[in-house]
Amino acid sequence: MRRTTRKLLDRALTLSACFAVALMAAFLLFVLAPILVKGASAYLFRATAEHRRMMRDQFGRGDAGQMRAERAAVLEARRPLYEAMAAFERELAEMPAARRRELRPAFQEVREGIARLLGPEPGAPLPALTRRLYGQTRWDRARIQADRILFEETWDYSGERGVRVRAPREPLFEGTALAPVFPMLRESLSPMLRPRLTFYPRFLTDKSFDAHFFGGIGPEVMGTVYLALGAMLIAVPLGIVAAIYFQEYARNGPMLSFLRSCVNTLAGVPSIVFGLFGLAFFINTLKVSPGKSVLAGALTLALLVLPTVIRASEEAIAAVPRSYKEAALALGAGQWRTILTVILPAALPGILTGTVISMGRAAGETAPIIFTAAVSVGRLIRPSELLAQPTPALSWNLYNLCTEHEAVDEIRHVQYGMAATLVAIVLLLNLTAIVIRARVARKLKG
Amino acid sequence: MATGEHILLTAREARKRKLFGLLGRSLLLLITSVAALAVLAIIFFIARDALPFFSGGRSAAFFLSTAWYPTHEPPQFGAAAIFVGSLLVTAAAVVLAVPPGVCAALCMSDILPFNVRQVLKPVIEMLAAIPSVAYGFFALVVLAPLLQEQGGRLLAAAWWTLALPALGLAAVVGADLLTPAELPERAHNVLRAALTLLFLAAASVILVVVGRVLAAVRIASGVNALNASVILGVMALPTIVSVSEDALQAAGRELREGSYALGATRAETLVKVVIPAAVSGIFSAVLLGIMRALGETMVVWMASGNAAQIPKPAYNLLLPVRTLTATIAGDMGEADQMTGSAHYHVLFAMGLSLLIFSFACNLAGEWIVARQRKRLRGG
Repeated sequence: MRRTTRKLLDRALTLSACFAVALMAAFLLFVLAPILVKGASAYLFRATAEHRRMMRDQFGRGDAGQMRAERAAVLEARRPLYEAMAAFERELAEMPAARRRELRPAFQEVREGIARLLGPEPGAPLPALTRRLYGQTRWDRARIQADRILFEETWDYSGERGVRVRAPREPLFEGTALAPVFPMLRESLSPMLRPRLTFYPRFLTDKSFDAHFFGGIGPEVMGTVYLALGAMLIAVPLGIVAAIYFQEYARNGPMLSFLRSCVNTLAGVPSIVFGLFGLAFFINTLKVSPGKSVLAGALTLALLVLPTVIRASEEAIAAVPRSYKEAALALGAGQWRTILTVILPAALPGILTGTVISMGRAAGETAPIIFTAAVSVGRLIRPSELLAQPTPALSWNLYNLCTEHEAVDEIRHVQYGMAATLVAIVLLLNLTAIVIRARVARKLKG
Repeated sequence: MATGEHILLTAREARKRKLFGLLGRSLLLLITSVAALAVLAIIFFIARDALPFFSGGRSAAFFLSTAWYPTHEPPQFGAAAIFVGSLLVTAAAVVLAVPPGVCAALCMSDILPFNVRQVLKPVIEMLAAIPSVAYGFFALVVLAPLLQEQGGRLLAAAWWTLALPALGLAAVVGADLLTPAELPERAHNVLRAALTLLFLAAASVILVVVGRVLAAVRIASGVNALNASVILGVMALPTIVSVSEDALQAAGRELREGSYALGATRAETLVKVVIPAAVSGIFSAVLLGIMRALGETMVVWMASGNAAQIPKPAYNLLLPVRTLTATIAGDMGEADQMTGSAHYHVLFAMGLSLLIFSFACNLAGEWIVARQRKRLRGG
């Protein structure tokens, strides 16, 4: 082969390999960026006066005097709108019957839309659902809601696929008393809702109410923390003991290789099978709890992360220099004392790294807790209920909110917030592990 | 001890120590066995709850029929379509993920400078830890609407990104290879330029035609086998890259230096020396990727559409499918009320099938590693 051809082939390989890395990076960015960016908008967003009113009512936050002043200003800005609606209602009563029949349903839609946008009309009876007590709490949702009032959305199925048609509502009410409402919604929505950039860090810890329409993700976060900590509490002692046995006690032989391949096989079991096992064994056979519970979930997750913990601890123990052990033995310490006072302390950072990584895995898993620990609707559980009560958890509730919620589109920000929080928790745990590992490497280098 | 009078142990104390040592040792063994034997307990309990289904004489229909009506009266448990769905999604994910994964591993182990690799490696391991439900959320909320509304354009864009560099490279390299080497310098250059132009023209025709065809594709539903496979592929990528890179690294410096010393280029060294030496490790990476994709629940549950049907034709990834894991997760919802019913047992039968498949993968992996070890020892 010619030399130039060989050079060309060499370049071709280099290029395609670098292209693959770039492609992978681009794709992962494509997946992660929307989750993290939109997830951040659950914490930092333009909140309307309705948000502040809701916070004051439900959580008792905010200054009462300021709140009253703002409420007065907002109602003042909304007054022309409500007056126009009242005037139109009077006008409607005097219209000929045919015209009235035409306009009344459309007016009802506008009126309901406005109640959703701004909250119940002053003086109207309070609605039963909490979500109807307040208008749109987020400015982005408010814009969408205003758009829904301005335009009527229908689907045109005359073609092979349905096409969305947006028809403005304004022409229908041309010349009536309701006509000024539409320009108001278009142009002066801002004084009616007073959007203000708000940082809402307590999204992480607040309880939610009325099916996540308002509030935060506190119960889910705590559920995830309980499950992950519980799993580690069970898996870490077991894992360390097994690692000590494998590294310090076991002699090569069929027994050791059998135990080892058992651990390897455990690592390959699909996570959903762990869930089935948790249901069949911990709940239906051992009956650790009457039904799903944090305890059953933590036990199941502990099994799932056990191989990782064992492997990491083994590596950490194997990395302890031989001379440490020999020095301890030479000083007259027994094997037990050597392990407890010399080997384990030296291996501790490595074990910690493995533990932290496993904790991230346990926090992120969904499939094993579906049948053993997770519920869709739940409150924050108290530590005393951990043994017998199921809990909401970030991973499961994220699935539940984006597939089974009655108003999936209206709580997108909560879903993104949950996804981003979960990803951030897992990535932070992994980052911690990397930092610990780097420190240990530096220390070992001297 | 401190005064030095008890340097030697009395016989009694020695016995005591020996006894305690033995006791501790057995305790350790006991705890280790609990940890290690958990897997046996898993097999036992999954099989125990799966057996009532198989002993009911419905196993033939389970594997062969596609009629999956678990809540009808009488219920029908034909899971063939679900098995096909699982295999289809897994196979597509592996086909999508392995070539870029191995290329990326090559790039990281042999092409990028050392300090870039030092940074990239932990980043990739971090990406492997991202929870699957987050990927599923992305598939359902971002990718599915995109596929449904812009499906054709998205497919065409993917085709252009992948095929443009591939076909371009193939045209240039092919022209060079096909030009006879014996020609004088000048004639060689002219012929090569002509061939390159010809191939590039052909490549652009293919690019445009296929791109047009793909752009005209309309996707009825954004949640389908393609969506699930793409996301599963992305999920499996970090694992594949990380494990293959370890294998390529383990091939060692001496092999590479020997090859370079003989005058080989980097590409020749990689393709003819390093990859053959690392092939068992790369196989393990692929097996791990398969296991990850097959056992994954949340992504397929959220993104595959969950329709228990065999797509027609079977390679049509644009139709929704249903997988084993998603069926277990979705149907076990009312587990508390279901315990003991035929529906409960059929889901355990699916779990058992998954378990057996993952054991097969594990065994294959161990066999490959053992064979490689034997070969390296000089067989």
